[in-house]
Amino acid sequence: MTNEAQSIRRISVAVLLTCLALSLICVVYPFYVIRPFRAQGARELAAALVVMRFRSAATFIAVAAALAALVFYWRAQPRRWRRAFATAGAAFVCILAALARVNIYEMMFHPDDRPSFAAASRTKLDKDEKVIAVKIGGAARAYPIRNISYHHVINDVLDKVAIVATY
Amino acid sequence: MWGRDVAGLRLTFHLAGINNQNFLMRDDQTGTYWQQISGKAVSGPLSGSQLPFVHSDELNFGTWQSEEPQGTVLQDTAQYRFGYARKDWDVRMQRAPTVIDFREHGLKARDLMLGIQAFGASRAFLFDQVIREKLVQDRVGAEPVLLVVGGDGQSVRAFRDRIPGIQGAPDFYRKPDGLLVDATTGSDWNFQGCAISGKFKGLCLEPVEVTKDYWFDWRNFNPSTTVYGRK
Repeated sequence: MTNEAQSIRRISVAVLLTCLALSLICVVYPFYVIRPFRAQGARELAAALVVMRFRSAATFIAVAAALAALVFYWRAQPRRWRRAFATAGAAFVCILAALARVNIYEMMFHPDDRPSFAAASRTKLDKDEKVIAVKIGGAARAYPIRNISYHHVINDVLDKVAIVATY
Repeated sequence: MWGRDVAGLRLTFHLAGINNQNFLMRDDQTGTYWQQISGKAVSGPLSGSQLPFVHSDELNFGTWQSEEPQGTVLQDTAQYRFGYARKDWDVRMQRAPTVIDFREHGLKARDLMLGIQAFGASRAFLFDQVIREKLVQDRVGAEPVLLVVGGDGQSVRAFRDRIPGIQGAPDFYRKPDGLLVDATTGSDWNFQGCAISGKFKGLCLEPVEVTKDYWFDWRNFNPSTTVYGRK
């Protein structure tokens, strides 16, 4: 029984540490590579994007595995402070999973998911304000640069054509 | 400016990252990452795909409004108004640091350029130089192009320098009010590239997309670019 408990504890700790390491990589590596005032190399950027694509699923699995390992560990580990450490580790995996779902760029430059438009004649802009102008069919639209340089991306439909204005 | 219909899907994009200070978008439908400047899918299920190109111009509001009085304008969102830039955003950004630099052609990283990627080639024009010259007749690849400064002195459009039925690239000159005149017939052409008088009245020049960009960004995504007036 003692050997079995010891074995369960070892496996549980190994699973927890693996989940922790995986979750840390999922959050920290893309953040490290894709940060604004750092040059991005082609290979590291490609790797970071792959991590970003799969990190929601990876951290979900890590959370499930960490919680399962925690349950087994609790059953096999009588010492409270060690249980507390394991619980903290599993909680950290959960926090990292939540962080992996945060788009920090959208926190900085809030998306305008419901853009609104008004007639040019009713828009108060200085004549020398710069706009990105597009015309499709008979429909013309302007995106003021001081606005779009903040949101960066505007999903729009003009004359039934779906477009994305970017700056 | 890009179209959003790709591979039978209507994509919705969000800002998702940055690649050497040019941002990356992620579409909600497939999770693919797209490069803003090129419209190319760089990672994900649609990797290698290209967003359909939609022609756009960067103009002064007054010029656009006079051309399109019935047009509509994106409105500010009240809750984010504090974050919006000032109207000279691109000039102010010239002071911001860059993470890459290409010390070529005597250009600085944040020099504002007008870039054309067309006819199998890339060519960049120093914005201030175009504003000074007001009319630039040049070639992108083998194709003759015109860069024209509008009557406001700040808006720039580019056109293919070809008139149907005319051999070669016709010569143009620019009147002080911004109208172009072709040396062949003396027809007046407006800033939209359409003849408004003379033999060619009603004809329009083919527009060419111009990307206003900083030198470091243009050069990074157009490594084989040449530069007007520079060796």
